[in-house]
Amino acid sequence: MTVAGKPLSAQADPIETAKSARPNRGSLALQDLGSGLSKHWLWRAMAMQDIVLRYRGSVLGPLWLTLSAAIMIAAMGLIYSQLFNIDPIRYVPFLAVGLLTWQFISSVITDGCEVFMSVQHAIQQVRLPYTVHVFRSVFRNLLILGHNAVLIPIAFLVMGHGIGWEALMAIPGLLLLCLNGIWISLLLGMVSARFRDIPPIVAALLQVVFFATPVFWPVENLGRFRHLGEMNPLFAAIDIVRAPLLGEPTAPHSWLIVGIMTTGGLVMTAGFFSRFRSRIAYWV
Amino acid sequence: MASLHLQDLTVEFPIYQASGRSLKKALFSAPLVGSNLARDASNRIQVRALNHLTLSIEKGDRVGLIGPNGSGKTTLLKTLAGIYEPTGGALHIQGRISALLDVSLGLNPEATGRENIMLRGMYMGIHPKDMQGHVEEVVEFTELGPYIDMPVRTYSAGMMLRLAFAASTCVEPEILLMDEWLAAGDSHFLAKAQKRMEDFVQRSSLMVLASHSLDLLGKWCNKGLYLRNGNVIAYGPLAEVADIYQQSLADT
Repeated sequence: MTVAGKPLSAQADPIETAKSARPNRGSLALQDLGSGLSKHWLWRAMAMQDIVLRYRGSVLGPLWLTLSAAIMIAAMGLIYSQLFNIDPIRYVPFLAVGLLTWQFISSVITDGCEVFMSVQHAIQQVRLPYTVHVFRSVFRNLLILGHNAVLIPIAFLVMGHGIGWEALMAIPGLLLLCLNGIWISLLLGMVSARFRDIPPIVAALLQVVFFATPVFWPVENLGRFRHLGEMNPLFAAIDIVRAPLLGEPTAPHSWLIVGIMTTGGLVMTAGFFSRFRSRIAYWV
Repeated sequence: MASLHLQDLTVEFPIYQASGRSLKKALFSAPLVGSNLARDASNRIQVRALNHLTLSIEKGDRVGLIGPNGSGKTTLLKTLAGIYEPTGGALHIQGRISALLDVSLGLNPEATGRENIMLRGMYMGIHPKDMQGHVEEVVEFTELGPYIDMPVRTYSAGMMLRLAFAASTCVEPEILLMDEWLAAGDSHFLAKAQKRMEDFVQRSSLMVLASHSLDLLGKWCNKGLYLRNGNVIAYGPLAEVADIYQQSLADT
């Protein structure tokens, strides 16, 4: 029988200590990433369920996502091709790809803010790798994009726009976007869990950015400021997917900008995650 | 070989709501009542939920956690489960942890009972393929009949408890951590649950159970751990610890 304060001898090597955690925080973060990746069945199933449950009971189900995107593209395609005075045959495919890519990017970012707060309950009840929640969020948005992507060939067909082999370059582009989605979600998820002002700030910014970024208007329209528009990392992100699909050359620096953003973001988030991973459960 | 070793384990919670959780960092000076509140360097309020705990729990131990509300029982369970990483000291775990802390973990009201069984399994780290083999047994235990294919939001609290309980006790536990949550449920189910629980506890090689009921602890535990304000007041054979606990209750 031990009464308060009398220490017992401890054997066994520590597997987790706050003191010795300082040097191996990085390896704990890496462990989290590793087991998060190996639990791919978990986040894949969760992401599928997110989508199925959101639309359970509705007649069209997840098709609503696609339908609303289709309506948006049709309406904007008609109006803005007039406003910008561009042939709809050129404009609609451009708009379809740009808008869907933007929707993917922006919902990855907004969901990223909620990535830990929305699963607060699970985080407080069971130990799961934190990266599982991040992969779930990015994968869910990728599934939605996959659905909506059927609109792209439809738009191309209707407008009689051809598609070539160079379209395949959109695949590495999309993979890069996912990689960026992972670090952004992880970083924003942590910061938002700690500072609750972040999600509304991000949501407000995204709205402004949508209009300020060449998503639904061609970057050429900026005239002599065109180069400035091409430096916008969000434009670059859309460009590396859109230009190959449309069979056009990407803007000169798009791949470079996205490459820098990916590397820089991953390095920064790795540091952040290693430092603050153990605090997430306390924050949410 | 299952075992838990706590060495000088401390858990402190920053309370952001009370100070500047918002970026604007509104200045706020709450009076510090209670002994385990403190301010940290940046003037945030800290609650020390567990205060330098040092103890060992070995294979075969069935530890009953007792203590008044807010004594740190749940925090200790959550720390042992790996949810909170200690802010100080060390925790050595050997063995696989199963934690039954909350009935509604992973329950999605929109999904059917059957889907929720799978979900629950996934949260506990069981691959859907392995869970498939347990589903029928769980369905049978719940006695939910056709309701099993209805959305869980149509369930009563008791039905939900049955589902959650059956789903979380269908696998072999090694280190079992439990918060007392067998409160709801009709008496027929309670008797059945107790039987299943006994089997489940028997199969675990180490258990920590938090409860206010000394009767329950007497039935299932052989050791007691009395916590108050995050400090260990007593740890040892259940009967002795229960005596100390009851005495301290009588004193106040």
